Amino acid sequence: MPAPKSTRFLAACAAAFALLLLACLAIGAAPPEATMGVVQKIFYFHVPSAWLLMLSALVSAGGSLAYLFRGSERGDRVALAAAELGVLFGLCVLVSGPLWAKAAWGAYWQWEARLTSSLLLWLMMVAYLLARRYGGPAARRLAAALALFAAVDIPLVYFSVRFFRSIHPQTTVVSTLGPGMRGAFWLSLAAFTGLWFVLLSVRLAAEKAQAEIVELEILLEQAEEEKS
Amino acid sequence: MTQVALAYGFIWLAVFGYVFLVGRRLARLQAELDDLRRRIERQKP
Repeated sequence: MPAPKSTRFLAACAAAFALLLLACLAIGAAPPEATMGVVQKIFYFHVPSAWLLMLSALVSAGGSLAYLFRGSERGDRVALAAAELGVLFGLCVLVSGPLWAKAAWGAYWQWEARLTSSLLLWLMMVAYLLARRYGGPAARRLAAALALFAAVDIPLVYFSVRFFRSIHPQTTVVSTLGPGMRGAFWLSLAAFTGLWFVLLSVRLAAEKAQAEIVELEILLEQAEEEKS
Repeated sequence: MTQVALAYGFIWLAVFGYVFLVGRRLARLQAELDDLRRRIERQKP
């Protein structure tokens, strides 16, 4: 007999967390950066979180596109799950970034292009979830349109440091990392991405179960009516 | 060092919290599904 879904997901989550723990060990072993010292280590969790915020917004937009133009229920479920993960990892970016900035710039926040566009992307993901919850009968379509609108902000977030005058480190900083730092960074990125896929599948399974419950409740009602 | 601990602590807590909430929700939904399936089975002649 196969293990129940929740047990399999628990095992997958444990594997992803083990990889994340391994990444933490590599980060601990990585040499401190010459000018910033130990505070630079925030980078190893901050950048993967930022990547996952953008990936979540992109996947949410893809799912919404499938829902709006092909009526795909699966697309809608993917969009919702990805938006929720976007809010989670966006929050991680918006908390870890200012903690690094306080040490690097002397201020938690600067209204510059990268930070502002990232905050906007996160707010649009939050708006997606709010629209889903309180949008009334057209909630799903309204939220899908919001997800498409949010996708426009993704290239803006990524290229903002190139196109605008910005004090935020450039995207090329990864290629300048020393050998000890590079391995820790890629391991952390892989661990975060693996965790993202596990969380997405768990969230999708929950949405699928919810849809099945609605179907079964209708079936049960019909069966009870037939019996009486 | 305080900033590093705060950043890592927050991210671990947020991700663990989310996993806990979604896992609990999935387990509840599965229990509900199993219960509905049993009730439908009982209705069959």
